[in-house]
Amino acid sequence: MENILLEYPYREDSHIALVKLNRPKVLNALSTDLMQELVDCMLELDKNPEVRVIILTGSDRAFAAGADIGQMMTATPVDQINDQRFRTWEMLKLITKPILAAVNGFALGGGCELAMSCDLIIAGDEAKFSQPEIKIGTIPGAGGTQRLTRAIGKSKAMMMVLTGDMIDAQTAYDWGLVAKVVPAQALLQETFELAKTISNRAPVAVRLAKEAVNKSFEMTLKDGMDFERRNFYLTFASLDQKEGMKAFMEKRNPEYKGN
Amino acid sequence: MSQFKFIKYTEENRTATITMNRPELYNALNAEAKVEIVQAIREANKNNQVHSIILTGEGKAFCTGQDLNDRSVQVDNATIDLGHTLQTEWNPLVTAIRDSKKIVLAVVNGVCAGAGISVAIACDLIVSKPAVKFVGAFSKLGLAPDAGSTYIFSRALGYQKTMEFFLMGEALTSEELHTAGLINAISEDPMAKAQEYAMTINGLSPLSTEMIKKNIKAALDSNYNESLERETYAQRFLGNSADYKEGLTAFLQKRKPNFTGN
Repeated sequence: MENILLEYPYREDSHIALVKLNRPKVLNALSTDLMQELVDCMLELDKNPEVRVIILTGSDRAFAAGADIGQMMTATPVDQINDQRFRTWEMLKLITKPILAAVNGFALGGGCELAMSCDLIIAGDEAKFSQPEIKIGTIPGAGGTQRLTRAIGKSKAMMMVLTGDMIDAQTAYDWGLVAKVVPAQALLQETFELAKTISNRAPVAVRLAKEAVNKSFEMTLKDGMDFERRNFYLTFASLDQKEGMKAFMEKRNPEYKGN
Repeated sequence: MSQFKFIKYTEENRTATITMNRPELYNALNAEAKVEIVQAIREANKNNQVHSIILTGEGKAFCTGQDLNDRSVQVDNATIDLGHTLQTEWNPLVTAIRDSKKIVLAVVNGVCAGAGISVAIACDLIVSKPAVKFVGAFSKLGLAPDAGSTYIFSRALGYQKTMEFFLMGEALTSEELHTAGLINAISEDPMAKAQEYAMTINGLSPLSTEMIKKNIKAALDSNYNESLERETYAQRFLGNSADYKEGLTAFLQKRKPNFTGN
């Protein structure tokens, strides 16, 4: 792995892994190689039963400044198809554990799309988001017209996609793109705190909950409700559900084992 | 430093001093002058040896706002777009002051007019000479106040007083703004007073001063609960810093702390 760094256990917590995009010289431009390494790493972490939450972050200046323009400049449509880059992107959907995007600096184009591919976004207060593809004669290709529209609504998404202009962290928060804005310096600390909280919840329920929320983007309300109900029933097959409710009745903290 | 044409820039005792240097024009700013101030603020922010920034003017005025001889704002120019001038010149200038991680102190040596007021009140601490006039000349030109002045004045003076100030175009004095809480101190030698403030700031932890600035600025736009949250984030972060350990140790050992910004 040249293009990403894995810190696991993160801050001595064996339930939490930190994945860091590590091409700071090019503001973490998302090359095909980087995306492949990222997906491989995430799949490994997903398999590791100790890991409960994954944090994805970039550097102070940039979460990720988008796809690798150098790599694309002279590409033909066929090159783009053969590149299979987007297939790699799609594989992020296979990760069953929550992925928290911790965004400092620029999240532009593919960087914004990568952040939106995560389950939630925490932004440092100096973060900037945009889908600037229109400025270089193309359009978003990894969710910038779809996930963004679902996150902030049509009119605002149109404005971002048609102008390519940046919005700041506070605006992203006001529009519902990010869950929380924290001082830039405190970003990893605060994301870690949130990861810790989530990692203290029943792991099976967390995965079923993540799956159900994500399904809401894919299904009609009725199908989504049915899906949710089934996952709800499923939690009752786990020992952690028994432990959770027992601990609640006994007024103590539950101890979840992930089964 | 010689790369600047319209300002003077010096660094001494961990304080950078930026002096707007067009005294013959009462420090009205053209496009280049504004860019230079922004560059100087960036330079000071990059330099670990600098901990605070003083902004002042050469001659009789602090800053009298837009240089009306600058081509971009002349009425006979067919493409005149004052919004563009704000977006590309004034707003980046006041934003650079407000976003500066290092504390910016204004030494108001003389009159402030138009957007010059905005430059002064964008600063974190303001020291002024006595009886300095602040003139919001916008309404007399058929314009409206800009560069952040509506935001800061309405919060500091209240709605009616701010309306009066910008409608009537009558000057407010440094004493009046001192009473309103917009100016920290009035002194015959405002530079000496500001340097005194700067000395104190330079002895503090840079992490701490940056967080203080950030959170108080954010509090103006936040509700109580949001402010509580920001305070929590900041304190958790600072509580993990080496500077906090040093501050606490120094306090217990009854000596002066030696902060390193870590």
